[in-house]
Amino acid sequence: MMKKIMVLLMMMIVAVGAKSMEADKLYYALRDKVMKVKDYTADVKIKIDVNYMRIPEVKGKLFYKAPDKMRLERNGGLSVLPKKNINMTLSNLMPTGTVTALDAGSETISGKRTRIIKVIPDGESNIVLAKLWIDEGALTVLKTETTTKDQGMILMNLEYGAYSAYGLPTKVLVSMDVKEYKLPQGVAMDYNDPMEVKQKPKDGKPRKGTIQLTYLKYDINTGLSDNVFKKPSK
Amino acid sequence: MIKLLRIELFKIFRRPRTYISFGIVTAISLIIQLAMLSGGKDFVSFGMQGVTDQFDIQGDIINGYFVTYIILQSLLVQIPLLVALVAGDMLAGEANIGTLRLLLTKPISRPKLIMIKFLASLVYTILLIVWLAVVGLFLSLAIFGEGDMINMKSDAFIMILKNDVMWRYVAAFGFAALAMTAIAAMAMMLSAFADNSIGPIIATMGIVVVLTILSSLELPLFNLIKPYLFTTHMIGWKGFFDDQVPYGAIGRSASVLVIYTVAFLGTTIAYFNKKDITS
Repeated sequence: MMKKIMVLLMMMIVAVGAKSMEADKLYYALRDKVMKVKDYTADVKIKIDVNYMRIPEVKGKLFYKAPDKMRLERNGGLSVLPKKNINMTLSNLMPTGTVTALDAGSETISGKRTRIIKVIPDGESNIVLAKLWIDEGALTVLKTETTTKDQGMILMNLEYGAYSAYGLPTKVLVSMDVKEYKLPQGVAMDYNDPMEVKQKPKDGKPRKGTIQLTYLKYDINTGLSDNVFKKPSK
Repeated sequence: MIKLLRIELFKIFRRPRTYISFGIVTAISLIIQLAMLSGGKDFVSFGMQGVTDQFDIQGDIINGYFVTYIILQSLLVQIPLLVALVAGDMLAGEANIGTLRLLLTKPISRPKLIMIKFLASLVYTILLIVWLAVVGLFLSLAIFGEGDMINMKSDAFIMILKNDVMWRYVAAFGFAALAMTAIAAMAMMLSAFADNSIGPIIATMGIVVVLTILSSLELPLFNLIKPYLFTTHMIGWKGFFDDQVPYGAIGRSASVLVIYTVAFLGTTIAYFNKKDITS
Protein backbone atom coordinates (compact mmCIF):
# COMPACT_ATOMS: atom_id res chain seq x y z
CA MET A 1 0.00 0.00 0.00
CA MET A 2 2.77 2.41 1.06
CA LYS A 3 4.65 1.59 -2.14
CA LYS A 4 1.58 2.42 -4.23
CA ILE A 5 1.19 5.81 -2.52
CA MET A 6 4.87 6.62 -3.09
CA VAL A 7 4.57 5.73 -6.78
CA LEU A 8 1.46 7.90 -7.08
CA LEU A 9 3.22 10.82 -5.40
CA MET A 10 6.24 10.42 -7.67
CA MET A 11 3.96 10.41 -10.70
CA MET A 12 2.21 13.58 -9.50
CA ILE A 13 5.55 15.38 -8.94
CA VAL A 14 6.73 14.36 -12.40
CA ALA A 15 3.40 15.44 -13.92
CA VAL A 16 3.57 18.87 -12.24
CA GLY A 17 7.18 19.22 -13.37
CA ALA A 18 6.28 18.28 -16.92
CA LYS A 19 3.35 20.75 -16.96
CA SER A 20 5.66 23.48 -15.61
CA MET A 21 8.12 22.82 -18.40
CA GLU A 22 5.28 23.02 -20.88
CA ALA A 23 4.33 26.42 -19.45
CA ASP A 24 7.92 27.56 -19.86
CA LYS A 25 8.03 26.32 -23.44
CA LEU A 26 4.68 27.94 -24.22
CA TYR A 27 5.87 31.24 -22.79
CA TYR A 28 9.15 31.19 -24.69
CA ALA A 29 7.40 30.25 -27.94
CA LEU A 30 4.95 33.08 -27.45
CA ARG A 31 7.68 35.56 -26.56
CA ASP A 32 9.73 34.54 -29.60
CA LYS A 33 6.72 35.17 -31.81
CA VAL A 34 6.03 38.58 -30.26
CA MET A 35 9.72 39.56 -30.39
CA LYS A 36 9.89 38.83 -34.11
CA VAL A 37 8.24 42.18 -34.65
CA LYS A 38 11.15 44.59 -34.53
CA ASP A 39 9.21 47.67 -35.53
CA TYR A 40 5.92 48.78 -36.96
CA THR A 41 4.03 51.82 -38.14
CA ALA A 42 0.31 51.69 -37.52
CA ASP A 43 -2.71 53.88 -38.17
CA VAL A 44 -4.44 54.06 -34.82
CA LYS A 45 -7.35 55.51 -32.93
CA ILE A 46 -6.62 56.24 -29.28
CA LYS A 47 -9.04 56.98 -26.48
CA ILE A 48 -7.73 57.86 -23.03
CA ASP A 49 -10.15 57.49 -20.16
CA VAL A 50 -8.45 58.73 -17.01
CA ASN A 51 -10.44 60.49 -14.30
CA TYR A 52 -8.53 63.78 -14.56
CA MET A 53 -7.77 63.70 -18.29
CA ARG A 54 -10.42 64.85 -20.69
CA ILE A 55 -9.10 64.09 -24.12
CA PRO A 56 -11.24 63.35 -27.17
CA GLU A 57 -10.61 60.22 -29.23
CA VAL A 58 -7.81 61.03 -31.65
CA LYS A 59 -6.44 59.41 -34.79
CA GLY A 60 -2.77 59.23 -35.55
CA LYS A 61 0.19 57.24 -36.71
CA LEU A 62 1.90 55.10 -34.09
CA PHE A 63 5.57 54.26 -34.54
CA TYR A 64 7.10 51.43 -32.54
CA LYS A 65 10.59 50.06 -32.43
CA ALA A 66 11.71 47.25 -30.14
CA PRO A 67 12.39 47.18 -27.33
CA ASP A 68 10.68 50.31 -26.00
CA LYS A 69 10.54 53.17 -28.49
CA MET A 70 7.09 54.48 -29.23
CA ARG A 71 5.78 57.69 -30.72
CA LEU A 72 2.36 58.89 -31.74
CA GLU A 73 2.24 61.44 -34.54
CA ARG A 74 -0.88 63.50 -35.03
CA ASN A 75 -0.23 65.75 -37.99
CA GLY A 76 0.97 68.67 -35.86
CA GLY A 77 -1.44 68.02 -32.97
CA LEU A 78 -0.59 67.02 -29.42
CA SER A 79 -0.14 63.36 -28.63
CA VAL A 80 -0.53 61.82 -25.21
CA LEU A 81 0.84 58.36 -24.44
CA PRO A 82 1.68 56.62 -21.19
CA LYS A 83 5.33 56.89 -20.23
CA LYS A 84 7.54 54.26 -21.80
CA ASN A 85 7.57 52.09 -18.71
CA ILE A 86 3.87 51.49 -19.30
CA ASN A 87 4.36 50.80 -22.95
CA MET A 88 1.31 49.99 -24.96
CA THR A 89 2.91 46.92 -26.50
CA LEU A 90 2.62 43.37 -25.31
CA SER A 91 6.37 42.83 -25.58
CA ASN A 92 6.97 45.36 -22.81
CA LEU A 93 4.66 43.56 -20.47
CA MET A 94 6.42 40.21 -20.96
CA PRO A 95 9.51 39.62 -18.82
CA THR A 96 12.75 39.18 -20.76
CA GLY A 97 15.56 36.73 -20.03
CA THR A 98 15.00 33.43 -18.25
CA VAL A 99 11.76 33.09 -16.37
CA THR A 100 9.84 30.68 -14.21
CA ALA A 101 6.45 29.96 -15.72
CA LEU A 102 3.69 28.20 -13.80
CA ASP A 103 0.33 26.96 -14.91
CA ALA A 104 -2.55 28.78 -13.25
CA GLY A 105 -5.58 27.13 -14.78
CA SER A 106 -7.72 28.04 -17.73
CA GLU A 107 -10.48 30.47 -18.60
CA THR A 108 -12.74 31.22 -21.56
CA ILE A 109 -12.42 34.75 -22.94
CA SER A 110 -14.74 35.90 -25.74
CA GLY A 111 -15.60 32.29 -26.50
CA LYS A 112 -11.97 31.21 -26.71
CA ARG A 113 -10.44 28.77 -24.24
CA THR A 114 -7.27 30.24 -22.80
CA ARG A 115 -4.54 28.76 -20.68
CA ILE A 116 -3.39 30.94 -17.83
CA ILE A 117 0.28 31.00 -16.96
CA LYS A 118 2.09 33.02 -14.35
CA VAL A 119 5.56 34.24 -15.26
CA ILE A 120 8.19 35.35 -12.78
CA PRO A 121 11.44 36.79 -14.14
CA ASP A 122 14.55 35.06 -12.79
CA GLY A 123 16.75 38.14 -13.04
CA GLU A 124 16.35 41.82 -12.12
CA SER A 125 13.29 43.32 -13.82
CA ASN A 126 10.73 46.09 -13.38
CA ILE A 127 8.11 43.36 -13.82
CA VAL A 128 7.44 41.43 -10.62
CA LEU A 129 4.85 39.03 -11.97
CA ALA A 130 3.06 38.62 -15.29
CA LYS A 131 -0.11 36.60 -15.66
CA LEU A 132 -0.98 35.72 -19.25
CA TRP A 133 -4.17 34.31 -20.74
CA ILE A 134 -2.96 32.48 -23.85
CA ASP A 135 -4.93 31.14 -26.80
CA GLU A 136 -2.71 28.12 -27.45
CA GLY A 137 -4.11 27.40 -30.90
CA ALA A 138 -3.35 30.85 -32.31
CA LEU A 139 -0.43 31.43 -29.93
CA THR A 140 -1.77 34.83 -28.97
CA VAL A 141 -2.29 36.52 -25.61
CA LEU A 142 -5.85 37.64 -24.97
CA LYS A 143 -5.25 39.16 -21.58
CA THR A 144 -2.34 40.13 -19.35
CA GLU A 145 -2.10 41.18 -15.74
CA THR A 146 1.34 42.58 -15.04
CA THR A 147 2.54 43.72 -11.64
CA THR A 148 5.34 46.25 -11.94
CA LYS A 149 7.61 47.75 -9.31
CA ASP A 150 6.94 51.40 -10.08
CA GLN A 151 3.57 51.56 -11.84
CA GLY A 152 1.45 49.09 -9.89
CA MET A 153 -0.73 46.67 -11.79
CA ILE A 154 -1.32 47.00 -15.52
CA LEU A 155 -4.13 45.04 -17.13
CA MET A 156 -4.25 44.55 -20.88
CA ASN A 157 -7.04 43.05 -22.96
CA LEU A 158 -6.26 42.26 -26.57
CA GLU A 159 -8.30 41.45 -29.66
CA TYR A 160 -6.84 40.04 -32.85
CA GLY A 161 -7.63 40.26 -36.53
CA ALA A 162 -5.59 40.23 -39.71
CA TYR A 163 -2.24 40.56 -37.94
CA SER A 164 -2.54 37.70 -35.41
CA ALA A 165 0.21 35.79 -37.27
CA TYR A 166 2.62 38.46 -35.96
CA GLY A 167 1.01 38.44 -32.54
CA LEU A 168 -0.14 42.00 -33.18
CA PRO A 169 -3.58 42.97 -31.91
CA THR A 170 -6.21 45.07 -33.64
CA LYS A 171 -7.56 46.39 -30.36
CA VAL A 172 -5.85 46.86 -26.99
CA LEU A 173 -7.43 48.04 -23.78
CA VAL A 174 -4.92 48.92 -21.08
CA SER A 175 -6.07 49.52 -17.51
CA MET A 176 -3.63 50.97 -15.03
CA ASP A 177 -3.38 52.77 -11.73
CA VAL A 178 -3.25 56.54 -12.11
CA LYS A 179 -2.22 59.02 -9.47
CA GLU A 180 -4.28 61.96 -8.34
CA TYR A 181 -3.79 65.22 -10.24
CA LYS A 182 -3.91 68.55 -8.47
CA LEU A 183 -2.78 71.94 -9.68
CA PRO A 184 -2.47 75.00 -7.41
CA GLN A 185 -5.38 77.43 -7.90
CA GLY A 186 -2.90 80.22 -8.71
CA VAL A 187 -1.84 78.70 -12.01
CA ALA A 188 -5.02 76.77 -12.79
CA MET A 189 -7.46 77.88 -15.48
CA ASP A 190 -10.53 76.98 -13.44
CA TYR A 191 -14.15 77.82 -14.02
CA ASN A 192 -16.83 76.34 -11.79
CA ASP A 193 -20.54 76.97 -11.85
CA PRO A 194 -20.90 79.88 -9.38
CA MET A 195 -24.33 78.61 -8.29
CA GLU A 196 -23.15 75.08 -7.59
CA VAL A 197 -22.08 73.68 -4.23
CA LYS A 198 -18.36 72.90 -4.18
CA GLN A 199 -17.40 69.23 -4.53
CA LYS A 200 -15.70 67.41 -1.70
CA PRO A 201 -11.90 67.34 -1.89
CA LYS A 202 -10.47 64.16 -3.37
CA ASP A 203 -9.10 61.41 -1.14
CA GLY A 204 -5.73 61.10 -2.91
CA LYS A 205 -6.10 57.34 -3.54
CA PRO A 206 -4.91 55.99 -6.89
CA ARG A 207 -7.62 55.47 -9.52
CA LYS A 208 -7.94 53.21 -12.52
CA GLY A 209 -7.44 54.64 -15.94
CA THR A 210 -7.94 52.99 -19.31
CA ILE A 211 -6.38 53.58 -22.69
CA GLN A 212 -7.99 52.03 -25.73
CA LEU A 213 -5.93 51.66 -28.87
CA THR A 214 -7.52 50.51 -32.10
CA TYR A 215 -5.06 49.51 -34.80
CA LEU A 216 -6.45 50.11 -38.27
CA LYS A 217 -3.42 49.15 -40.38
CA TYR A 218 0.12 47.94 -39.70
CA ASP A 219 3.35 48.18 -41.67
CA ILE A 220 5.63 45.66 -39.96
CA ASN A 221 9.43 45.38 -39.83
CA THR A 222 10.16 48.19 -42.26
CA GLY A 223 13.42 49.08 -40.49
CA LEU A 224 12.32 52.28 -38.77
CA SER A 225 15.15 54.68 -38.01
CA ASP A 226 15.79 55.91 -34.46
CA ASN A 227 15.40 59.45 -35.78
CA VAL A 228 11.65 58.87 -36.03
CA PHE A 229 11.51 58.77 -32.23
CA LYS A 230 13.55 61.88 -31.57
CA LYS A 231 11.57 64.73 -30.08
CA PRO A 232 11.64 67.85 -32.29
CA SER A 233 13.87 70.46 -30.69
CA LYS A 234 11.79 73.49 -29.84
CA MET B 1 -29.93 109.23 -32.38
CA ILE B 2 -27.12 108.09 -34.72
CA LYS B 3 -25.87 111.67 -35.01
CA LEU B 4 -25.76 112.04 -31.23
CA LEU B 5 -23.98 108.71 -30.93
CA ARG B 6 -21.41 109.88 -33.47
CA ILE B 7 -20.85 113.05 -31.45
CA GLU B 8 -20.32 111.01 -28.27
CA LEU B 9 -17.94 108.66 -30.08
CA PHE B 10 -16.06 111.66 -31.45
CA LYS B 11 -15.70 112.97 -27.90
CA ILE B 12 -14.34 109.62 -26.74
CA PHE B 13 -11.89 109.03 -29.56
CA ARG B 14 -10.49 112.57 -29.75
CA ARG B 15 -9.14 112.21 -26.21
CA PRO B 16 -5.60 110.81 -26.05
CA ARG B 17 -6.42 108.89 -22.85
CA THR B 18 -8.78 106.66 -24.85
CA TYR B 19 -5.81 105.30 -26.75
CA ILE B 20 -3.89 104.63 -23.56
CA SER B 21 -6.25 101.67 -23.01
CA PHE B 22 -5.42 100.21 -26.42
CA GLY B 23 -1.73 100.79 -25.70
CA ILE B 24 -1.96 99.03 -22.33
CA VAL B 25 -3.75 96.03 -23.88
CA THR B 26 -1.06 95.84 -26.57
CA ALA B 27 1.79 96.16 -24.07
CA ILE B 28 0.46 93.50 -21.70
CA SER B 29 -0.21 91.11 -24.59
CA LEU B 30 3.29 91.61 -25.96
CA ILE B 31 4.88 91.15 -22.52
CA ILE B 32 3.03 87.87 -21.96
CA GLN B 33 3.87 86.66 -25.48
CA LEU B 34 7.53 87.51 -24.89
CA ALA B 35 7.47 85.78 -21.50
CA MET B 36 5.92 82.67 -23.04
CA LEU B 37 8.51 82.70 -25.81
CA SER B 38 11.36 82.79 -23.34
CA GLY B 39 10.08 80.92 -20.28
CA GLY B 40 6.85 79.29 -21.37
CA LYS B 41 8.33 75.81 -21.14
CA ASP B 42 9.05 76.16 -17.41
CA PHE B 43 5.56 77.49 -16.77
CA VAL B 44 3.99 74.62 -18.64
CA SER B 45 6.20 71.93 -17.11
CA PHE B 46 5.29 73.19 -13.63
CA GLY B 47 1.60 73.05 -14.42
CA MET B 48 1.83 69.70 -16.17
CA GLN B 49 3.89 67.92 -13.52
CA GLY B 50 0.96 65.82 -12.36
CA VAL B 51 0.30 64.65 -15.91
CA THR B 52 3.86 64.19 -17.14
CA ASP B 53 4.66 61.93 -14.17
CA GLN B 54 2.70 59.21 -15.93
CA PHE B 55 2.12 60.42 -19.46
CA ASP B 56 4.38 61.56 -22.22
CA ILE B 57 3.00 64.56 -24.07
CA GLN B 58 4.51 65.37 -27.44
CA GLY B 59 3.81 68.36 -29.65
CA ASP B 60 3.65 72.11 -29.21
CA ILE B 61 1.71 72.81 -26.03
CA ILE B 62 2.74 76.45 -26.14
CA ASN B 63 0.80 77.44 -29.21
CA GLY B 64 -1.23 80.54 -30.09
CA TYR B 65 -4.43 79.27 -28.49
CA PHE B 66 -2.75 78.44 -25.19
CA VAL B 67 -0.92 81.78 -25.02
CA THR B 68 -4.17 83.65 -25.76
CA TYR B 69 -5.80 81.95 -22.80
CA ILE B 70 -2.97 83.10 -20.53
CA ILE B 71 -3.34 86.64 -21.89
CA LEU B 72 -7.09 86.65 -21.32
CA GLN B 73 -6.69 85.23 -17.83
CA SER B 74 -4.26 88.03 -16.95
CA LEU B 75 -5.88 90.89 -18.84
CA LEU B 76 -9.55 90.49 -18.07
CA VAL B 77 -8.78 91.56 -14.51
CA GLN B 78 -7.25 94.84 -15.71
CA ILE B 79 -9.69 95.66 -18.48
CA PRO B 80 -12.42 96.91 -16.10
CA LEU B 81 -10.06 99.78 -15.21
CA LEU B 82 -9.65 100.61 -18.89
CA VAL B 83 -13.41 100.50 -19.42
CA ALA B 84 -13.93 102.71 -16.35
CA LEU B 85 -11.46 105.26 -17.75
CA VAL B 86 -14.00 106.12 -20.44
CA ALA B 87 -17.39 105.11 -19.01
CA GLY B 88 -16.67 106.77 -15.66
CA ASP B 89 -15.97 109.99 -17.47
CA MET B 90 -19.12 110.05 -19.60
CA LEU B 91 -21.28 112.21 -17.30
CA ALA B 92 -18.87 113.35 -14.59
CA GLY B 93 -16.39 114.54 -17.21
CA GLU B 94 -19.03 116.77 -18.78
CA ALA B 95 -20.00 118.04 -15.33
CA ASN B 96 -16.38 118.72 -14.52
CA ILE B 97 -15.71 120.86 -17.58
CA GLY B 98 -19.11 122.54 -17.28
CA THR B 99 -20.71 121.29 -20.49
CA LEU B 100 -23.38 119.06 -18.95
CA ARG B 101 -25.87 121.85 -18.30
CA LEU B 102 -25.35 123.17 -21.81
CA LEU B 103 -25.84 119.68 -23.22
CA LEU B 104 -29.14 119.32 -21.37
CA THR B 105 -30.48 122.56 -22.86
CA LYS B 106 -30.71 120.68 -26.18
CA PRO B 107 -34.05 119.07 -27.08
CA ILE B 108 -33.15 115.63 -25.88
CA SER B 109 -34.54 113.77 -22.91
CA ARG B 110 -32.25 112.79 -20.06
CA PRO B 111 -32.94 109.03 -20.41
CA LYS B 112 -32.10 109.27 -24.11
CA LEU B 113 -28.89 111.10 -23.33
CA ILE B 114 -27.95 108.40 -20.82
CA MET B 115 -28.68 105.66 -23.38
CA ILE B 116 -26.60 107.38 -26.06
CA LYS B 117 -23.68 107.84 -23.68
CA PHE B 118 -24.01 104.21 -22.61
CA LEU B 119 -24.07 103.07 -26.26
CA ALA B 120 -20.95 105.13 -26.93
CA SER B 121 -19.25 103.46 -23.93
CA LEU B 122 -20.41 100.10 -25.27
CA VAL B 123 -18.85 100.78 -28.69
CA TYR B 124 -15.57 101.70 -26.98
CA THR B 125 -15.74 98.57 -24.79
CA ILE B 126 -16.40 96.30 -27.78
CA LEU B 127 -13.58 97.91 -29.75
CA LEU B 128 -11.26 97.30 -26.81
CA ILE B 129 -12.27 93.62 -26.72
CA VAL B 130 -11.84 93.38 -30.51
CA TRP B 131 -8.39 94.92 -30.15
CA LEU B 132 -7.64 92.37 -27.43
CA ALA B 133 -8.65 89.66 -29.90
CA VAL B 134 -6.32 91.13 -32.51
CA VAL B 135 -3.22 91.46 -30.32
CA GLY B 136 -4.06 88.58 -27.98
CA LEU B 137 -5.40 85.91 -30.29
CA PHE B 138 -4.33 86.69 -33.84
CA LEU B 139 -0.86 87.97 -32.94
CA SER B 140 -0.31 84.92 -30.69
CA LEU B 141 -1.38 82.64 -33.54
CA ALA B 142 1.02 84.46 -35.84
CA ILE B 143 3.90 84.10 -33.38
CA PHE B 144 3.27 80.64 -31.92
CA GLY B 145 1.15 78.96 -34.58
CA GLU B 146 -2.01 76.99 -34.01
CA GLY B 147 -2.43 73.56 -32.45
CA ASP B 148 -4.45 71.54 -29.97
CA MET B 149 -5.17 73.59 -26.87
CA ILE B 150 -4.67 72.39 -23.34
CA ASN B 151 -6.59 73.73 -20.39
CA MET B 152 -4.95 73.08 -17.03
CA LYS B 153 -7.69 73.09 -14.43
CA SER B 154 -6.89 72.48 -10.77
CA ASP B 155 -8.35 68.98 -10.95
CA ALA B 156 -8.36 68.16 -14.67
CA PHE B 157 -6.25 68.25 -17.78
CA ILE B 158 -8.33 69.09 -20.82
CA MET B 159 -7.24 68.85 -24.43
CA ILE B 160 -9.27 70.56 -27.13
CA LEU B 161 -8.56 69.70 -30.75
CA LYS B 162 -7.36 72.64 -32.82
CA ASN B 163 -10.36 72.62 -35.16
CA ASP B 164 -12.63 72.91 -32.12
CA VAL B 165 -10.99 75.98 -30.53
CA MET B 166 -11.74 79.08 -32.61
CA TRP B 167 -15.50 79.12 -31.99
CA ARG B 168 -14.75 78.93 -28.27
CA TYR B 169 -12.66 82.09 -28.49
CA VAL B 170 -15.38 83.88 -30.46
CA ALA B 171 -17.87 82.93 -27.70
CA ALA B 172 -15.37 83.82 -24.95
CA PHE B 173 -14.70 87.27 -26.39
CA GLY B 174 -18.47 87.77 -26.73
CA PHE B 175 -18.92 86.85 -23.08
CA ALA B 176 -16.04 89.13 -22.07
CA ALA B 177 -17.76 91.99 -23.91
CA LEU B 178 -20.94 91.27 -21.91
CA ALA B 179 -18.99 91.31 -18.63
CA MET B 180 -17.30 94.59 -19.55
CA THR B 181 -20.69 96.06 -20.51
CA ALA B 182 -21.78 95.53 -16.90
CA ILE B 183 -18.63 97.35 -15.76
CA ALA B 184 -19.34 100.20 -18.19
CA ALA B 185 -22.90 100.48 -16.85
CA MET B 186 -21.62 100.59 -13.27
CA ALA B 187 -18.98 103.19 -14.10
CA MET B 188 -21.63 105.32 -15.79
CA MET B 189 -23.89 105.03 -12.76
CA LEU B 190 -21.08 106.21 -10.49
CA SER B 191 -20.33 108.92 -13.04
CA ALA B 192 -23.88 110.23 -12.65
CA PHE B 193 -23.33 110.58 -8.89
CA ALA B 194 -20.13 112.62 -9.24
CA ASP B 195 -19.01 115.92 -10.66
CA ASN B 196 -15.45 114.92 -11.49
CA SER B 197 -14.28 111.84 -13.39
CA ILE B 198 -11.53 110.65 -11.03
CA GLY B 199 -14.03 109.59 -8.37
CA PRO B 200 -16.13 107.26 -10.56
CA ILE B 201 -13.04 105.70 -12.17
CA ILE B 202 -11.39 104.97 -8.81
CA ALA B 203 -14.69 103.88 -7.26
CA THR B 204 -15.33 101.45 -10.15
CA MET B 205 -11.90 99.95 -9.79
CA GLY B 206 -12.24 99.77 -6.01
CA ILE B 207 -15.56 97.95 -6.24
CA VAL B 208 -14.19 95.52 -8.85
CA VAL B 209 -11.07 94.80 -6.78
CA VAL B 210 -12.96 94.27 -3.50
CA LEU B 211 -15.66 92.11 -5.09
CA THR B 212 -13.08 90.08 -7.07
CA ILE B 213 -11.29 89.30 -3.79
CA LEU B 214 -14.61 88.26 -2.23
CA SER B 215 -15.35 86.12 -5.31
CA SER B 216 -12.03 84.30 -5.15
CA LEU B 217 -11.69 83.70 -1.40
CA GLU B 218 -12.81 80.22 -0.34
CA LEU B 219 -14.44 81.15 2.96
CA PRO B 220 -17.89 79.95 4.09
CA LEU B 221 -19.11 83.49 4.79
CA PHE B 222 -18.21 84.68 1.29
CA ASN B 223 -19.56 81.52 -0.33
CA LEU B 224 -23.05 82.65 0.64
CA ILE B 225 -22.81 85.95 -1.21
CA LYS B 226 -20.56 84.89 -4.09
CA PRO B 227 -23.35 83.78 -6.47
CA TYR B 228 -24.86 87.26 -6.24
CA LEU B 229 -21.70 89.23 -7.03
CA PHE B 230 -21.24 90.21 -10.66
CA THR B 231 -17.48 89.68 -10.37
CA THR B 232 -18.11 85.97 -9.70
CA HIS B 233 -19.82 85.73 -13.08
CA MET B 234 -17.30 87.76 -15.06
CA ILE B 235 -15.10 84.68 -15.53
CA GLY B 236 -17.91 82.81 -17.30
CA TRP B 237 -15.88 82.99 -20.55
CA LYS B 238 -13.64 80.26 -19.16
CA GLY B 239 -16.54 77.83 -19.32
CA PHE B 240 -16.21 77.71 -23.11
CA PHE B 241 -12.88 75.93 -22.70
CA ASP B 242 -14.25 72.95 -20.82
CA ASP B 243 -14.62 69.62 -22.63
CA GLN B 244 -18.35 69.67 -21.93
CA VAL B 245 -19.27 73.35 -22.17
CA PRO B 246 -21.47 74.16 -19.12
CA TYR B 247 -24.03 76.15 -21.10
CA GLY B 248 -26.40 76.27 -18.13
CA ALA B 249 -23.82 77.86 -15.84
CA ILE B 250 -22.64 80.25 -18.57
CA GLY B 251 -26.23 81.20 -19.34
CA ARG B 252 -26.91 81.90 -15.65
CA SER B 253 -23.73 83.99 -15.39
CA ALA B 254 -24.71 85.90 -18.54
CA SER B 255 -28.19 86.51 -17.08
CA VAL B 256 -26.73 87.84 -13.83
CA LEU B 257 -24.51 90.23 -15.82
CA VAL B 258 -27.47 91.42 -17.91
CA ILE B 259 -29.55 91.97 -14.76
CA TYR B 260 -26.72 94.01 -13.20
CA THR B 261 -26.32 96.04 -16.41
CA VAL B 262 -30.04 96.83 -16.53
CA ALA B 263 -30.07 97.65 -12.80
CA PHE B 264 -27.06 99.99 -13.11
CA LEU B 265 -28.57 101.71 -16.15
CA GLY B 266 -32.00 101.96 -14.52
CA THR B 267 -30.47 103.52 -11.40
CA THR B 268 -28.46 105.95 -13.55
CA ILE B 269 -31.55 107.05 -15.46
CA ALA B 270 -33.69 107.31 -12.31
CA TYR B 271 -31.06 109.35 -10.46
CA PHE B 272 -30.02 111.51 -13.40
CA ASN B 273 -33.66 112.32 -14.22
CA LYS B 274 -34.08 113.99 -10.85
CA LYS B 275 -30.58 115.36 -10.50
CA ASP B 276 -30.20 119.08 -10.15
CA ILE B 277 -27.58 119.93 -12.75
CA THR B 278 -25.59 122.90 -11.52
CA SER B 279 -22.44 122.58 -13.59
